[in-house]
Amino acid sequence: MMGKLLTADFLKIKRKGLWFLTLLGPIGVVALQMVNYGVRKDYLLQQSEDDWGYFLLNIHSFTPLAIVLGIAILTSFMASIENETNAWKQLIALPVSKLSVYLSKFTVLAILLFLSSTLLMIFTLSYGLFLNLGEPVPYLELAKFSYFPALAALPILALQLWIASVCHNQGIPITVGIFGVIFAYSSYVLPDWMIWKWPSLMNQWDEPIINVMLGVGIGILLYIVGVIDFARRDVK
Amino acid sequence: MEYIVQTQNLSKCFGKEQAVSNINLQIRKGEIYGFLGPNGAGKTTTIRMLLGLMKPSSGTIKIFQKDIMKERIQILANVGSLVENPSYYPHLTAYENLEALRKILGVPKARIDEVLQIVRLKEAANKKVKGFSLGMKQRLGIAAALLHNPELLILDEPTNGLDPSGIIEIRNLIKRLPKEYGMTIIISSHLLSEIDQMATQVGIVSKGTLIFQDSIEEMRKFAQPKVTFKVSNSEKGWRSLLANGIRADYHDGVIFLEECSDEKVAHIVQVLVQEGISVFRVEEEKRSLEEIFLQMTAGELTI
Repeated sequence: MMGKLLTADFLKIKRKGLWFLTLLGPIGVVALQMVNYGVRKDYLLQQSEDDWGYFLLNIHSFTPLAIVLGIAILTSFMASIENETNAWKQLIALPVSKLSVYLSKFTVLAILLFLSSTLLMIFTLSYGLFLNLGEPVPYLELAKFSYFPALAALPILALQLWIASVCHNQGIPITVGIFGVIFAYSSYVLPDWMIWKWPSLMNQWDEPIINVMLGVGIGILLYIVGVIDFARRDVK
Repeated sequence: MEYIVQTQNLSKCFGKEQAVSNINLQIRKGEIYGFLGPNGAGKTTTIRMLLGLMKPSSGTIKIFQKDIMKERIQILANVGSLVENPSYYPHLTAYENLEALRKILGVPKARIDEVLQIVRLKEAANKKVKGFSLGMKQRLGIAAALLHNPELLILDEPTNGLDPSGIIEIRNLIKRLPKEYGMTIIISSHLLSEIDQMATQVGIVSKGTLIFQDSIEEMRKFAQPKVTFKVSNSEKGWRSLLANGIRADYHDGVIFLEECSDEKVAHIVQVLVQEGISVFRVEEEKRSLEEIFLQMTAGELTI
């Protein structure tokens, strides 16, 4: 059943700009560093002995913002496909369980998110090589900076999908999304328990892996809460 | 007799408001069941519960002899539906809309062309639904409901927003389905004339309760014309008619009879004249189904 729902959901996101956004996010993040390094490459290279590490940190300064903003827009678009003409009632009157309908939406979004992360890794590597930052290339660090923020952002994805699919007024998830972006922007001053801080990979122990584990754990928890609430509600 | 749809004391409350109370539907195979009621009587709520979109507050629903709460997915595999306004994905073409549903239902691709043919949308198949007229969207909704050749088809106000030729087209289509494919159809409407031309069985809801459920013929019996007699001394006339073994009714100074043959009218006039009563007027008064419907649902009237 999941396979059928997934192919149907991928058909539905056609011409909705979701693929374009998935591509735009990582391009935007790397493009900002293209400007940064294009203007003052010599100065930036003097800042640190570890040119690759410094470059990755610069890239990473915008990744959380792009992810939080991207998730808010993607989930809202995704839910609006069904909300627009209240197609939920048509979809749920089909021989499918509500749990799998929700899981399918979540899976499509998660796939888009990880596709975006992969593109970020490719673009970062390409531009890093272009800048000639030297050998050896820190592949492991590169992968961490590409995938860890997305994993740490899973609770935000679960929360936004929940709000977007139960609220008929799309103003509400968008508002929550905007607050999320503001929170993500001020990660430095946020306490560690705020989920919007996690994609920045900062915490008091300075261990990014804690954010990833928290992200996956709390992400699953919020997903379960969302799916239970979604299944419980009457379809209007 | 086996019922395709059977509900028992089906009720639904929204907070304190009782939207549907104790509805017992009984629908047999091959019937076109007209589900009638004024706006806001609880038709759509009942239909949503039949489709498992809403959970009943109390009561049970059995479709194909199975409980909707326990075997929802198996039941819905054989149910096609169009609830209220048609749902569609405006950014996709008609064909893609059906394809998105077909993938989930797992029917062969050729079926899309078939249903598009049935609702005559073949020429518009590759146009985006965004630009469709309401009638075309409605027909697309019906095509979607027919996609998996369901045994039970539930249509909520399917002719809403259609022009007269569209209404006739849909009506003919709906009449054809039980004969050709053995489908059972539930069709809801607030227009009696509509149901009158299609349905074999009728259920009327008012304020959330089912106030009538029988064949359309039974319903039509309510619409028999009655003959009224205006005479000089109606009470005396009425008594003499009763004395002659003619069962007439007397009300507000008028004598009236239900179901009256020409011979009977002649006989009555003869009796009255022999009694020395002047007959002023003999009139036939036709009651339309609409009137009966309004009478049955009286109290619901807002205008």
